[in-house]
Parts: sequence; C-alpha cells; structure tokens
Amino acid sequence: MQKVLGDFIHALRHAGLPISSAETLDALRAAQLVGIDNAPLLKHSLGMTLTKCLQHRLTYDQVFDQYFNSYDQFKEASSSEETIKALEEKRQTSNNIDEELINAYGTSFQSPLAQQLMDNDMSSVQVMITSAATASGAREIAFVTQIPMVTYRIMQTLGNGELQQELAVLASSDENSAEVQLLRQRRLLLQQQVRDYVEQQYLIFNQNEPNKLRESNLQKINLTSVDHRNYKLMGELVRKAAKQLASMHSRRRRITKRGLLDVRRTIAANAAYDGFLFHTKWKSTRVDRPKVMVICDVSGSVSEVARFLMLFLYCLQDVLPKVRSFVFSSNMAEVTELFEQRGMDQALAEVMLKWANLPSDYGKALADFTSIALDDIDNRTTVIMLGDARNNNEDGNVSVWEEIYRRSQRVLWLNPEGEFSWDSADSIMSEYAPYCTHVETCNSLRDLNRVLGSVLKHSN
Amino acid sequence: MIIRNQEKINSPETIKQQFEALGYICSDAIATSVYLACHLQKPILVEGPPGVGKTELAKKTSELLSAPLIRMQCYEGLDESKALYEWKYGKQLLYTQLLKDQLGDVMRGAKGLDESVSRLHQFGDIFYSDEFLEPRPLLQALRSEGGAVLLIDEIDKADQEFEAFLLELLSDYQISIPELGTVKAKSKPIVLLTSNNTRELGDALKRRCLHLYIPFPSKAIEQKIISAQVPELNDKLRQQLVAFIGELRDMSLKKVPAVSETIDWARALLLLNVESLDHEWIKTTLNLLLKFQDDIEAVEPEIDNLLKAATKES
Repeated sequence: MQKVLGDFIHALRHAGLPISSAETLDALRAAQLVGIDNAPLLKHSLGMTLTKCLQHRLTYDQVFDQYFNSYDQFKEASSSEETIKALEEKRQTSNNIDEELINAYGTSFQSPLAQQLMDNDMSSVQVMITSAATASGAREIAFVTQIPMVTYRIMQTLGNGELQQELAVLASSDENSAEVQLLRQRRLLLQQQVRDYVEQQYLIFNQNEPNKLRESNLQKINLTSVDHRNYKLMGELVRKAAKQLASMHSRRRRITKRGLLDVRRTIAANAAYDGFLFHTKWKSTRVDRPKVMVICDVSGSVSEVARFLMLFLYCLQDVLPKVRSFVFSSNMAEVTELFEQRGMDQALAEVMLKWANLPSDYGKALADFTSIALDDIDNRTTVIMLGDARNNNEDGNVSVWEEIYRRSQRVLWLNPEGEFSWDSADSIMSEYAPYCTHVETCNSLRDLNRVLGSVLKHSN
Repeated sequence: MIIRNQEKINSPETIKQQFEALGYICSDAIATSVYLACHLQKPILVEGPPGVGKTELAKKTSELLSAPLIRMQCYEGLDESKALYEWKYGKQLLYTQLLKDQLGDVMRGAKGLDESVSRLHQFGDIFYSDEFLEPRPLLQALRSEGGAVLLIDEIDKADQEFEAFLLELLSDYQISIPELGTVKAKSKPIVLLTSNNTRELGDALKRRCLHLYIPFPSKAIEQKIISAQVPELNDKLRQQLVAFIGELRDMSLKKVPAVSETIDWARALLLLNVESLDHEWIKTTLNLLLKFQDDIEAVEPEIDNLLKAATKES
C-alpha cells in the first residue's frame, strides 16, 4: 500500500499540488484506518489530509479518479509479494492447462511471450507490463510524441521480437492458420493494452511537464511580445507571483521594540490597580503599508506591460490596500474605481478600449495629474510611472514631475525599453530621470516581481 | 473521550446516523472528517460559505461525544491573555493588601535586605500559582478531564501572530506558560477551526489540520435538513422552497442564501400558515433570504420566472 500511495502522491505533486512529507504520513495513517476497500471513503479521507484548499481539491479529485482507475485495472499487478507469489502458483497451474491445450493443438510455441499469450493469463501479463514499463521509463515521458516509442520498447522487453519471428515462421508453413490467427489477435490486444498503460502513465505523471517548461519561459520573455493565447496563463503566473510576494511581506504589521517601556501607556493601563504596575506596555512602531500611485502610459507598445503591472498590483491588494491607478495616453484619468467595481479582466479591457492606442503626450497628461491627484501625494507615497517617455516631440512638462518627486517618498520610473534606446528619437527619458529615485528597465514578469518586491520591502 | 464513545464513532456511517438522530443531516465527507479527527487526533479546518453549518458541526460533535463545547471566537487583536490565560490581577492585589500585616510578621527580625529577600523566597511563587490563574478557552480545553470539543471560530479574523501561536497547541496539544511550564492536555480535545476565507491561512496551520470544505448542500440533503429542522412543513411546500432557493443560488447575488436562511424562511412560512409558494408571499418574505437591498431589487422582478422554474423542477 505504501508504494501505491507513494506513487499517487508523486502523481499529485506532478499535477502541481504542494504536498509535504508530514501530509504524506497523515495520508498513510488515514488510509490504514479506513482501509482501501471503500473507494469513496478513501477518496474523502485522503482528500482531507492531502489538500488544503478548494482549488487543490478539484485537481485532487481528477488525479484520484485517473490514478485509481488505472490502479484498479492493475490491482493485481501491484508488487506486493503475496500477490506475486499467488500469481506464480497460478501460472504453474495454468501452465499445466496450457500444456494440455497445446497438446490438443499438436504444436508448442517456442517463444515465452507466445506461451503466455496462449495461456490467456491476463494478470501475469499485467505484472510483466508493469515491470517492463518501469524498466523502459514510462514515467519519465515528457511529451505525447514519446508514447509510441516507449510502447515499442516495452513490447521488445516483453519478447515481441521472438514472437514476431515465430509468427513469421508459423505463417509461412501455414498449417496452423487458426492458431496463428488467434496468436496474432492476442498480440494486437497486448499491444493495445501496453499503449493504454503508457498513455495512462503519461497522463498521471507527466502531463504537466511541458506546462512547467512553458511557465518558466514565460517568466523570462518580453511582456510586449506575450501572445494573446498566453494571456490566461500569464494572468495565473502573475497571481502566483503576487501571492508569494504578499505572503512574504504580510507578516509584520507592528515591530515591538522590546525593552523600551512606554511609560505613559503603562501608567494608564495600571490605573485600575492602584498604581501597581502589573501590565507593562512596550513601545512599538506600526509598519506602514505604502500608499502607491501608479501612472501607466497605455499608448502603443507600453500598454501590454501596463496590463500586467496593473494586474500584479491588484493581486497585491492584501498588502498594498491603498493603490490608486491612473492611465493616460494624452489625457489622464483615474481608474481606481473602475477596478474596484468591475472584475480585473473587464476593467482592463475597458481601459484598453478607452485610453489605449492614442499618441502619447506626457506634458498634457502630467498637467491633468496636477489637477486630479497632485495634492494627495505626501511623504509616504510611492509613485510608480510606467512609460517609455516617447513624447512625440512635445513639451514634457518636467516641472510637474519635479513637484511630484519633491512631495513623494519615492518615485520609480519603469521603462519597458532597454537602456540603449532611451533618449533615441522622440524619447525624453533624460529630462525626467533626474527627478526619479530609481529608473529601471522593466519588461518581463521577473522585472515586475523584483520592482514590486522592492516597493514592499522599502516600506518596512 | 474517544474510548468512552467508541461505539458511537466506530465508522463514518455510524457517525452519520448518530448525527441524523441529533437532527444534523450531513454528507459523507463531513462524517468521514469527524471520524478521522477522532481517530487520528487531528484538528479539522472547516471552510465554506457562511451559513452552511460549520459552527453547528462543532456543537453537534460535542453533543455526540457528550463532551463540553469550549468556544473561542476570533477577532482582530485577539492575544494570548484572552485566548490562553491571564493572571487574576485584582485578586493578587487584594491578597497582597490583606497579607501586609502577615508579611510584616514574617519580616520582623530580619537583618538587612538580603535576609528579608531570602525569607521571602522561602514562600515560593505564591502569587503566580494556579490559584491566581484565570484559564481562558484554550487552557480550559487542555485541562478538562474528560476531553472537550474546542471550537476556534473564524480563525481567519485573528492576526497572523495568533495563528502562529496556535501551532504548538494544534500539533502537540500542549502549551507553554512561562511561569508554570508546559501544560499538556489531560485528554486530547477534538479541535475544530472554522474559516470564512477572508484571508489566506498560513501553510503551517493548514498542514496540521484535516481540511473539510462544506459546500451548499445538494437539493436532496437540503430537503432532509428542512424536514429535520422544521418537521411540520408539508412536503409540497418543502420541495418548492428548496427548489426556489436552488434557483436563487444560481443567480449572481452579493450574498446567496445559505442553509440557515432556508431554515429561517421555512419557519417563517410555517408561522404564516402558507400552503404553497406564490408571488405575494415570496415578495413579502424575501428580506429573510436576502440581506442586501441590491440583491432584493435584483430578485424582485425575477420572482415569477424563478417560481416557474422551481415548480417545474419540484
């Protein structure tokens, strides 16, 4: 049972569930308690010990059905010693029967596989398939296209070569055609069985491998070139990264300075006890969540990066509750409410429809910002600007940007273009750069992760 | 506690029947979780939308095991002194005042500060002993002789620090008190934690618990629940009512009606002597089911359609 469960947990991990070894032990204990005869009961019990949220539970249900269906078929093939011993005995007896049968036919087959097939002893064949599959690496398949190759390898290990030869010889002499037909049929059946088994193993253990590869590639590629069909996957990746960041930075809300007595609060707290100091109150500093204002240029190619930056920021809502967002290409507008009212996807779509793909005018946009939100910037605000500073040769209104820099705690400028193209053509990056705490290239998910991590870290 | 109730919890099926006898209709998953919790001695983390009977599960479990239910409601700012123990400051103060004269007697004749202090030491920590300890829910649960059911309600509302503090209790059933040492459970309590998912719980906490998600019940189970809770209601109305609620749950509402609302509604309809559902009755009692004005406004024009769909189904 340990092996079966171990494999099952291995399969679950492949499907993306984070299962610790402590949970594995719990699952084993639970399985021992409820036994493995009652499938629904086992499913509930293992589910409770192995999955800890609803989403994982759904994946678990799927894998459970897949795994134990195949397990049921190969139940006897599970390598506990008693079953094997029983099978050996069975084979002995069936060999006797086989001999009679062969005698009846008047011929005996030479190759062992042919003998086994004529035995029609399915369970022992399954044992052989399982062990041959392990030897041929059925579990390490990474791509669908490998299935036929592994199937072939298993068939060879089972002794298909000899069987084929023998079949050829028998067929040429043609005297036992009925028997040859039967054997051929059995061979095809076996091949089908092996193929099914390999496919199942692929589904259980390795279906997600290519996805993992794709995910790690998507982390690195340029956000401007993310394909439409990958948006959904990117969205999930962003959410995952955001969750990680959030859990890293959500721990401490208050740092207690141990050893520094807060005399005023201590006296107040102990007034009820006649001035005896029972409760000691210590000084503590509240860790402020930064107020973030994010300004996104949504014109042209920057809009793709803006989409993911905003998605990321809103996934961080637990730790960054006070995010205000503004978008512009020439006119600027605040979209904070839009994001609150609509779902993320719908709001993004609306933003892109209304403001995106117009020629950008930083001067006009910054002038708008003065009237909308400049007064709300205080010394705890972090301002993040995402833009390529390509201003179509207009006036950049740098004085406003200087004012923002003066009032705020930090100003970050994220430029999706590489440093080599700053200030080329109509880009006026060098005009804004002196009034930024930090200027960075940002065009992949990794960059986003790093930048926002530093925003959160700075606040502590 | 487990041994005492062995025959009541010897299989999930028995537990389910026992719960049914107590008027709590539950799914196989719930019964299995209680079974595992009793036998593996692990806490259960119960999640699900509000009003599906998470807290009720704890109450019925305590009834089933005939053990006291100790409930701790979590909220932001909950700390050790409210959850675990506190010293009875007032009593300590009073005693020191009363014993002032006695202390004078003890101290009489002592030469110098050193001797006085060493004499005081001979009395041990009188004021920090069990007598002056005010046990709060967690300590009560650990100390109860015959075992107990400990319900830690809405753990997601408590701070993360408190969650970390619970870990020792949940895995080893013991707790450290600086002045007294480690307190071990006399008889391991059954612990149930409930969460409404207002924030993500830590992995360390989840790892220590069995996870149970209670969804809205299926129509068949909900009918059984209603007939157990409001047995006087006639069959036809009950079917209509459950089907109608089912239709409501498919709509996109701010807060969909849960089981507790269904029961309230059934009781109200019984009180009003309603024979079968119609537009008027639904309209007048809709505020029992829906808790937001927006939702009520959204549902009102749809009542006829919903009712039609519900009657067709039932």
